[in-house]
Amino acid sequence: MPAPRRIRKVLIANRGEIAVRVLRGLRELGVRGAVVYSEPDRKSLPVLLADEAYPIGPAPSRESYLRGEAIVELAVRIGADAIQPGYGFLSERAEFARLCGDAGVVFIGPPPAAIAAMGSKVESRRLMIDAGVPVVPGGRDPLPEVEGAAAAASELGYPVMLKASAGGGGKGMRQVREPGELAAAYRAARSEAGASFGDDSVYLEKYIEDPRHVEIQVMGDHHGRIVSLGERECSLQRRHQKVVEEAPSPAVGEDLRRRMGEAAVKAAAAVGYANAGTVEFLLAKDGAFYFLEMNTRLQVEHPVTELVTGIDLVAWQVRVAEGEPLGPEFDRAHPRGHAIEVRLYAEDPYRRFAPSPGRIALLRWPQGPGVRVDAGVIAGAEVTIHYDPMLAKLIVWAADRERALARLGRALDELRVEGIRTTAPLYRALLADADFRAGRLDIGMLDRKLAAGELAPSGAAAGGAFQGTGGEAGDLPLLAAALAHFDRVSRTAATAPPSGGGRRSRWATAGRLGSLRPGSRS
Amino acid sequence: MELIVRSGEREEPVRVERSEAGYRVTLAGRTFEVDLAAVAEELYSLRVDGAQQEVSVHRLEEGRYRVAWAGGSTEVEVADPLTVLARSAHGAAAVKGPRRVAANMPGRVVAILAAEGTEVAPGQGVVVLEAMKMENEIQADRAGTIRAVFVTPGQAVEGGDPLFEIG
Repeated sequence: MPAPRRIRKVLIANRGEIAVRVLRGLRELGVRGAVVYSEPDRKSLPVLLADEAYPIGPAPSRESYLRGEAIVELAVRIGADAIQPGYGFLSERAEFARLCGDAGVVFIGPPPAAIAAMGSKVESRRLMIDAGVPVVPGGRDPLPEVEGAAAAASELGYPVMLKASAGGGGKGMRQVREPGELAAAYRAARSEAGASFGDDSVYLEKYIEDPRHVEIQVMGDHHGRIVSLGERECSLQRRHQKVVEEAPSPAVGEDLRRRMGEAAVKAAAAVGYANAGTVEFLLAKDGAFYFLEMNTRLQVEHPVTELVTGIDLVAWQVRVAEGEPLGPEFDRAHPRGHAIEVRLYAEDPYRRFAPSPGRIALLRWPQGPGVRVDAGVIAGAEVTIHYDPMLAKLIVWAADRERALARLGRALDELRVEGIRTTAPLYRALLADADFRAGRLDIGMLDRKLAAGELAPSGAAAGGAFQGTGGEAGDLPLLAAALAHFDRVSRTAATAPPSGGGRRSRWATAGRLGSLRPGSRS
Repeated sequence: MELIVRSGEREEPVRVERSEAGYRVTLAGRTFEVDLAAVAEELYSLRVDGAQQEVSVHRLEEGRYRVAWAGGSTEVEVADPLTVLARSAHGAAAVKGPRRVAANMPGRVVAILAAEGTEVAPGQGVVVLEAMKMENEIQADRAGTIRAVFVTPGQAVEGGDPLFEIG
């Protein structure tokens, strides 16, 4: 355990909304917040809110936010007591955490050994089995003969999944539903694995059909205490990227929450964990759950846990790093009410999520009861192509899920972003989806619905009518565009330089231009 | 002022005049008295017989707007009738000639999916661009032959740089 040490200044090795979130936590604790920034981020929100800000390099991450040694040197030079890495970038590099320790700077996160142990898929799986944490059944030993594969498959029970030992990215993976399919799938998986990785060994795993992604937030101090703060439901994902998260999960009751919490605490304890971390599980339809991985850092979706538990995770990360034991609020961390987060990305959900960089011309965040916005941008900001396209997280809290959904709809209606495209229209469409409303979720659901065109935008045809005016649906945008265009044309005409050389009244010019326009009556 | 507005499948003539209330707008044969207040840059409050809607109107290019309101958003084209006539006269010819497809944002070329001489179908991927850590397939917008590819894998491109020509 590190020697107790008062933290008075923290250097944040990150950018965007998470740098802002950490700065807010520090400010409330009375701790000075310093940030690093790359060249294009000079005018970004974290820099504007920081007590100190230091340039760290040009736009590319590896020349700026990933310069671990330079960041540690900077921390020492400016007298920062600690470094908070946020998520992404250097947050899960054991080597960086070690570098901090060697320089006498507190790394706000778990011990380097815990990061390293959880960073290896093979190693963490072995540790979890030893600790009695459920993992997806199956062996990691290569199956050199089809007979051995068949025996292993019938022992696991169908359906099973063949996976390449050297694999990743779906290559060399084959789902096998029944014994008759095994031989052909085995041959195909081996040849694909050989072609893709130069190693044709494969192993077998139990296939979990349409699971949910449910994760447990844990918090540990340096006095041997680790606590579960309950689950987050993160099944709504687009190509393995979470887009909507909520707490509690509609699929988790009191008993399952307790059992998953105990498993998560066991997982964390097995690697000597301290500080904030998340243990991710697959939750099968039959209620069985399996360890997926542990994220050894603060998560993007931490606010939903904060809202239902009332615990400020960022503040507690600092206190724990100072050597403080977990306080009494951790004794009764039961979810109260319901929180939902949607991630606002600068992407066009209806053009295959094409990035949408550009200047944010208009920006108004929703406000009012139960609404929290964790944003990294302000109006006028230039969204560049250099970094993750997440602009902000819109988070709502209400007494129950039904009311949280209504509040999310209200908040999305208040949100105004122009100049770039965002994923907001997708969330409006999701709110109208019967499966989402009922909490029937699985990790493939969003991709399936998008592929089937089920989450179409609510465009002109679906709304925008003035009630009680005799107009029809879709009149509103047509009226608005016509008027904006009319105003623009009138203004342009009014300010256009006179064409005839001599000075002329602007009104006369406008009138002349107007009369030249065929059919004009204005 | 006479205008033609189009959004999705719907195309309507619109007449806009100034009036006591602000504007008198005739859309699809119905006349609305509209009070329009510019609240901020690109943000308006529209009142029609007391019914109020807050609307943002963002100009994408001349005559093309993105309109958003509580509950939805859409693109609207606005043109005067002469422009529409001129466009339909030239339109047929314009579609036939070879067309250059340009990068819509800065990025890096990851792969060429259809080399010169390849026959492509509409929607078929031709170039893969990486921007904001995401790979994007730039597709053929119609059937034709790839006449030229102007980029190579690994090359950095700016928004507007030509990627390929389809004919």
